[in-house]
Amino acid sequence: MTEVGPPESDPEALLQVRDLKKHFDNESGLLAGVQLDDEFPYVSRSTSDVRAVDGVSFDIKEGETLGLVGESGCGKSTLARTVLRLLEPTSGSVYFQGEDLAELSGEPLRRMRKDMQMIFQDPQSSLDPRMKVGPIVEEPMKAHDMLDEEGREARAKELLEKVGLDPQHYNRYPHAFSGGQRQRVNLARALSVNPDFIVCDEPVSALDVSIQAQVLNTMEELQEEFDLTYLFIAHDLSVIRHISDRVAVMYLGNVVELADKEELFENPKHPYTRALLDAIPVPDPRSGGRKALLSGDVPSPIDPPSGCRFRTRCPKVIQPDEYDMTEDAWRNVVEFQRAVERRAFEETDPDALRSRYFENAVPSGDAGTLLDEALGHIERDEWDDAEQILSERFADQSVCATTTPAYEVPSDLTDGRHYSACHLRRDEALASAVDEPAVDDAARPGAGVTEADD
Amino acid sequence: MSEPLLSVRDLKTQFFTEDGTVRAVDGISFDVHEGEIVGLVGESGAGKSVATSSILRLVDSPGEIVGGEIEFKGETIFGLEEGDDGELRPRDEMLTEEEMRKRIRGREIAIIFQDPMESLNPVFTVGGQLREFIEINRDLGAEEAKEEAIDMLREVGIPAPESRYDEYPHQFSGGMRQRVLIAMALACQPDLIIADEPTTALDVTVEGEILEMVTELQDKYDTSFIWVTHDMSVVAEICDRVNVMYLGEIIEQAEVDDLFHDTKHPYTSALLDSMPRPDRTVDELRPIQGVMPEAIDPPAGCRFHSRCPEAREVCREVHPEPRELSDEGEAPHTAACVKHDAFGVGYDESPPIETEATGGFSAGFTETGGEAE
Repeated sequence: MTEVGPPESDPEALLQVRDLKKHFDNESGLLAGVQLDDEFPYVSRSTSDVRAVDGVSFDIKEGETLGLVGESGCGKSTLARTVLRLLEPTSGSVYFQGEDLAELSGEPLRRMRKDMQMIFQDPQSSLDPRMKVGPIVEEPMKAHDMLDEEGREARAKELLEKVGLDPQHYNRYPHAFSGGQRQRVNLARALSVNPDFIVCDEPVSALDVSIQAQVLNTMEELQEEFDLTYLFIAHDLSVIRHISDRVAVMYLGNVVELADKEELFENPKHPYTRALLDAIPVPDPRSGGRKALLSGDVPSPIDPPSGCRFRTRCPKVIQPDEYDMTEDAWRNVVEFQRAVERRAFEETDPDALRSRYFENAVPSGDAGTLLDEALGHIERDEWDDAEQILSERFADQSVCATTTPAYEVPSDLTDGRHYSACHLRRDEALASAVDEPAVDDAARPGAGVTEADD
Repeated sequence: MSEPLLSVRDLKTQFFTEDGTVRAVDGISFDVHEGEIVGLVGESGAGKSVATSSILRLVDSPGEIVGGEIEFKGETIFGLEEGDDGELRPRDEMLTEEEMRKRIRGREIAIIFQDPMESLNPVFTVGGQLREFIEINRDLGAEEAKEEAIDMLREVGIPAPESRYDEYPHQFSGGMRQRVLIAMALACQPDLIIADEPTTALDVTVEGEILEMVTELQDKYDTSFIWVTHDMSVVAEICDRVNVMYLGEIIEQAEVDDLFHDTKHPYTSALLDSMPRPDRTVDELRPIQGVMPEAIDPPAGCRFHSRCPEAREVCREVHPEPRELSDEGEAPHTAACVKHDAFGVGYDESPPIETEATGGFSAGFTETGGEAE
């Protein structure tokens, strides 16, 4: 599982994504990234890429639904578009029915598109307002030279009926339909060329709850009837839990956990998944509300954190080996470091800060000395110095920062495989893609992440 | 209970369009007490947003508030009386447009909208907008207002507020922009904040943080909230009392626990049943059949009867007004459904009717097209 290579002969996997990357230029144009220096050679050029998708691997078996979940900005939609080759991948491969889509272009790629369709989030803007729904459904068939005119019309009507619309509405315009019905037209259009694989990018998030359930039920029925494989993207974990067979959790361009649905929801093994699950509100006032929320924003994908990308927000960052603090003291240090980074307080008095952040446990030894130093800087209003000490000597020393995690862990609830990119799981891991000795502080972030589930 | 902070009685707001009169809000009544979070929930098109704009008298032509009373802290925001010529005219004590603008909006009643990008001006800095708002509404000098603005930004959890003060809205993430709007709403320490789907566009994690922050700030400032949302989970989490709206009417009104565990209206139960659950796997969802009819031509009788699984002949004929259904000593719980004995219109004897929900045609068709949000 550590190797990223040509597809293994897994007859069941319809789609295999291997180490897929998609980077965008942050700036473009002739002078992009040009900077002026006051020393020779005076002009330098550095380009900074947005690493929207940075080394993602997974399989989708025939007939299953893979749910893809994550906060906005984590690269879900970019991944979907890159998988379908709507975007050119920066590197990596996508094997669909044994062929590498990343290598294809022109006519062969166009023909492959017949088997892969997409449904978009906004049912309004994904339908041409000046076309009637019948011709909209027929359009993909036309593009792929399917059937004759009569045959297409008959098929369009049949599909409209299949998705729960009245075939009589063949001649209506999209504006005459409600949001849920428009999404059904989108479904019919995607189905028209008889695809094997449909990518659904937030197909129900624009709909009301009551309508959402209708569309989800229809999608499940159609999957059964036409033997479809879905890649289902949503930010709503309740929807994902309802429709998926397996679930991949994405964070900042990486898949951090992938497992069977029940396993992932009942036995999550990555702190990010845990946090996401805890953050979902339950529609029941007696549930006691949400717990342990994440703080801070998702870091920028231009310069993502080294090692585990979640470490800047993780409530369970591992203590660096060189220190010997109690668990409480280490948590306090982490919390204090993040507070300084966010400039979350104005207080500069060391004693007041101690009692505020280190009331129950104070680090001793080397760690204590470093903390004193940082507090001293804050007292003198040297925030940047304090921040530097705290992050360089504490946060960046953790194994979470120096090594990129990738572990396959045992599944407790199902027989499926369970992948979790978290160093907390290194002891129970069955296999790992972490190349321990080769990694040092300078390790390129995001390198060598591979997927256990293949 | 003490005198309510805000009391809305039989409020009616209509839009006069070429196709006819849209009864967006059709006779709703509810109270908001001090320090309370009141939920207003319903699907899109139920009239939630029109109801809240009516409270601030922000309804624009072709819309008009045509009836009802809105009282806020003993003052009349809206009220009509019959004049000598038999025409309805505004009562004398009704606040003038200028008083509304200068005294009520922003100072006494603030509003937070769903889309923070549309509520912030993209060409001014975030800090500048917040400072201006504080300067005007609290009569502070520019320097003091700036300090206050930075304090407010820190209060709502904006990291490094001094440096973020000079940034523009596009440099903030969605959650942070929403925090800025909350800071703005709280800046004048109003008595009532109307939150119109403020977390709908946000991720669950961010939504969680914001709801937690709102609860904390609410404790601190003792502000009342009207929380408009379509999300039952949000309602369950923060509201004290809930009003469920359907097609311009409030069809159920109860304390949050009663609403979820002693549901009295079929629409509310259908809404709860149709949601996928995060805490357990549900094999099949039970959606509400059909779509909400147009407010321009609402169904006769009970407005929900066309989609109701429990509809009977009598539902088509009798239009139920909300009635108090709780037993004595219990918290008030009203619902507008004739299946309860309190209505006494012979529901039990009435034959069931065929509707979309009871086995008719699935996925109804709207002639003019409902808008999805």
